[in-house]
Amino acid sequence: MLSRDEVLKIARLAKLSLTEKEIEFYQQRLGRILTYVEELNALATADTSVVRTIPKDAVAFREDRPMPFSDVRELLKNAPASEADSFLLPQVME
Amino acid sequence: MDFNRLEILDLLEGYQRKEFSPTEVAQSLLTSIEKKDSEIRSFLQVRPDVTLDAARAVEKRSSEMQKLPLYGVPIAIKDNILVTGWQATAASKILKNYVAPFTAMCVERLESAGAVILGKTNLDEFAMGSSTENSGVAPTRNPWNTDRVPGGSSGGSAAAVAAGFAPASLGTDTGGSIRQPASLCGLVGVKPTYGRVSRFGLIAFASSLDQAGPLTRSVWDAARVLECMAGYGGKDATVSRSVVPKYTENLNESAFGTVRNLRVGVCTSWLEGVDPEVRASFEAAVEKLKELGMRPVEIELPNVKYALSTYYLVATSEASSNLARFDGVHYGYRTPNPKDLNDLYCSSRGEGFGPEVKLRIMLGTYALSAGYYDAYYGKANQVRRLIQQDFEAAFEKCDVIASPTSPTTAFKIGEKISDPLTMYLSDIFTLPANLAGIPGISVPAGVDSGKLPIGMQLMGRHFDESTLFQVAYCYERRRGALANPPWRSKSGAGA
Amino acid sequence: MKNPLEKYEVVIGLEVHAQLLTKSKMFSEAPNQFGANPNEMIGPVCSGQPGSLPIINQTAIDLGVRAGVALHCKIHEESVFARKHYFYPDLPKGYQISQYERPYCTGGYVEFALKDGSTRKINLVRIHFEEDAGKSTHASHGTLVDLNRAGVPLIEIVSEPEMRSSEEAGQYLRKLRSILRYANICDGNMEQGNFRCDANVSIRLHGAKEFGTRVELKNINSFRYVEKAIDYEVGRQADALEQGEKIRQETRGWNATKGVSEIMREKEMAHDYRYFPDPDLPPLVISPQLIQKITTEMPELPDAKRVRFIEEYQLSEYNADVLTNSQELADFYERVAKGSGNAKSAANWVMNELLGRLNAVGKEIDDTPVSAENLALLVKNVDSDKISGKIAKTVFDEMFASGKSPDAIIAEKGLVQISDPAALEAVVKKVIEASPSEVAGYKAGKTKLLGFFVGQVMKETKGQANPGLVNDLVKKHLDG
Repeated sequence: MLSRDEVLKIARLAKLSLTEKEIEFYQQRLGRILTYVEELNALATADTSVVRTIPKDAVAFREDRPMPFSDVRELLKNAPASEADSFLLPQVME
Repeated sequence: MDFNRLEILDLLEGYQRKEFSPTEVAQSLLTSIEKKDSEIRSFLQVRPDVTLDAARAVEKRSSEMQKLPLYGVPIAIKDNILVTGWQATAASKILKNYVAPFTAMCVERLESAGAVILGKTNLDEFAMGSSTENSGVAPTRNPWNTDRVPGGSSGGSAAAVAAGFAPASLGTDTGGSIRQPASLCGLVGVKPTYGRVSRFGLIAFASSLDQAGPLTRSVWDAARVLECMAGYGGKDATVSRSVVPKYTENLNESAFGTVRNLRVGVCTSWLEGVDPEVRASFEAAVEKLKELGMRPVEIELPNVKYALSTYYLVATSEASSNLARFDGVHYGYRTPNPKDLNDLYCSSRGEGFGPEVKLRIMLGTYALSAGYYDAYYGKANQVRRLIQQDFEAAFEKCDVIASPTSPTTAFKIGEKISDPLTMYLSDIFTLPANLAGIPGISVPAGVDSGKLPIGMQLMGRHFDESTLFQVAYCYERRRGALANPPWRSKSGAGA
Repeated sequence: MKNPLEKYEVVIGLEVHAQLLTKSKMFSEAPNQFGANPNEMIGPVCSGQPGSLPIINQTAIDLGVRAGVALHCKIHEESVFARKHYFYPDLPKGYQISQYERPYCTGGYVEFALKDGSTRKINLVRIHFEEDAGKSTHASHGTLVDLNRAGVPLIEIVSEPEMRSSEEAGQYLRKLRSILRYANICDGNMEQGNFRCDANVSIRLHGAKEFGTRVELKNINSFRYVEKAIDYEVGRQADALEQGEKIRQETRGWNATKGVSEIMREKEMAHDYRYFPDPDLPPLVISPQLIQKITTEMPELPDAKRVRFIEEYQLSEYNADVLTNSQELADFYERVAKGSGNAKSAANWVMNELLGRLNAVGKEIDDTPVSAENLALLVKNVDSDKISGKIAKTVFDEMFASGKSPDAIIAEKGLVQISDPAALEAVVKKVIEASPSEVAGYKAGKTKLLGFFVGQVMKETKGQANPGLVNDLVKKHLDG
């Protein structure tokens, strides 16, 4: 079981609003899972080499050639609010 | 004509002989969906006019049929994979009205091969779940028994194929989300090697684990879809540049010669706690592999018991990062009356995400946070390396590894949702392949006394899908047809 | 406090963000272009669409390596891209791809001269790659977000806290900027925001071993403000300490209008960025071959040029430093020096006359109305006594205003110096005859009156008489 403060701290970092019910719910659930994963601490891994998941022949680079997107207006269409080609936020910033 | 029972190979042969056309097939399937999917709820979006236009466009290229390996084949796409103009919601309220501005590389390749997009299918929200009960829309039902789950997170994709609505679908697999629903729905499901298929256009869950792959009714069909969708494409820095083999080329009589004398690894200790009927079915399947000339070898996988813990730290950490972009600013759901910027973020995300997603985001945030990183994310990555090493050692002694795909058959809707760990244990056999990056395929092995499907999983070396397909193909031929699958029932859906 | 530096020592470290001169962005194919309409230069990757993935711009890496070579850093064969998480409207992914524990460069240094001729060497901590964020503009009814700048490639150059005065900070920045411009890595334009500087400033008693609490100073968006902002902050901290207050570790923004630093609102309550290696990117490999190639292709950098200027043109350290400030200025100077054959004079004209005037009208050497060839001609004209140094200044004024050649101006205005002794003799005689009382005064011992006669001759000849010659002639006629 995680403390209420701990859950609120995580929720703050993750920017998630929680109802009172949810706080209790997550205290329990997170607590249970964290207890379960404690088992990893018993394992000796000091000499373990770094995990590598990306294939060795993967190429991460591209040429410096600008490729304008087909229609940037499509990217704005999904915005909750926009104005004059900008993403619009309501009066929430100081 | 009833197209719901046809496999991809049947369709291609039918088109070749001009028995029917892509538009006919597409129309028939769309009608089937319209009539019967309200019960199954496999699809989240269909656009019949767009699908038929695409079918008509492909027909215009009928003279090039030979060059289009998926000519006229309708494919359903999981709704966490982007297709231009179609929704991409990840079954989440937070992406409710999102329309994809570009198409995923793997789907683009399928379209180039002549495939026709049939619709977007249901999933556990953001691919987090093993039953599709976490969908922000509604749960999908298993066509074999509609009181039961189809598995997850690619439950919609599995149900669509099992119900006969589509000959093939795309799913994504991060911890088993293609293989487990394939197993629960009597299908073939493939998780390719990490880096075989481009992730460009997949709504990311866990970047180092996600792979897209096919769900089909036969091994040949899965091989055909994978050989078309895989490959580099230039938009993903984690994809292998190696040439994608034509997997279907070896799926014939010659395969029997190839698989004879291959060694199949079995880790007996791993099977403890598995449902007895599942175990019995698995053991019978291994017997069949022996009949094919394969040699079972006992292997050790000493660290797989830590796979669940490892997965739940690695995957949730990466997910917490990948889902940070859903903040109500540039796309997706925004809370209606935020009082300040912080409220805009917290309420949009708090209201937009479902409980399982929030749980995982919080777990991942915690595991990456200052002071906890080393003990959680850091440690988990080290254990991950141990698991990888287990498989490296095992593949010195064998060529494929066999296990049940899921410890149980399809459970009842609502049965496991209350305890996270019980649900998570559904993935016990599938998680390790994602952690190790190796390919895995689930093939139907039989049904239990309740007539619910049981799957066998085969895992192979990195980029050795060829061997997996050949073993699976031979096993499938040996096993024979499945009795009364829902796609062959008169109505085409539901047992 | 009147003179804080008497009691306190200033400790300054600088963090510079420099945008790289690439055509497309760091991880996105969208164009890297300043000044476009909002959201014209965006794509799926830099706007953080679901399903988008980063691919590394090879040229950005090349430019970064060039910076590492030019700044004498250790360039690591393997470095790691890491995600830095925070929520802000100009950061669409909710994280910035940066480098954390394993940057591509560590060490390195920048050397420069101060006004008094002394030199400084400031060591660097590290350089790393990262992507820029977009821009938010506040309007009355809300905030507008433009993602054109999101994803533009940056290198962040972090210095050790080794600077001990605002002048050092200013000179360090000028030198750093000039190196980056010389090597075509970055435009170095603070006003356009492609070269940005944050200062970490603290003070401590002279001789103290511990550092004082440091304050981060942001929003310094012009070279003019660097020294000013630091001086203000030092004063503020000194005053606080003198009044027994403690310095709080905080971030302050420079307010140029008010001339003060102000507390900035924190972006995140707790700066837990939750760094971890980006799983979408393999480790960045920079091969020795690449470093070798870039080293061989490096243009002559300011330091090498400065050393050459000192030797070839006999310039002082400081002058050489100023003249090699930019590639364009150095080239300009060399053309004047070579064209006129008088490097020293060329240096004076460029530094004391031209640069001052350009600065006053806000122009750079690229827009000089006076061409190098014409300035060289002017110098030659003075050296050949065609005109006097004083007249030359008048000619220069006209050259600056009109862009014409000195010869054209001299001809137009009939400014050719009169050096013909015969012609001058006549004027000298005339002036002497016209001023008998001054002649008497001079002969009586007021030798300073020599200047009066010279002045009168210059007046008569409209300044065109050769002053040296006039001096001699007047003396001769008065004494003789």
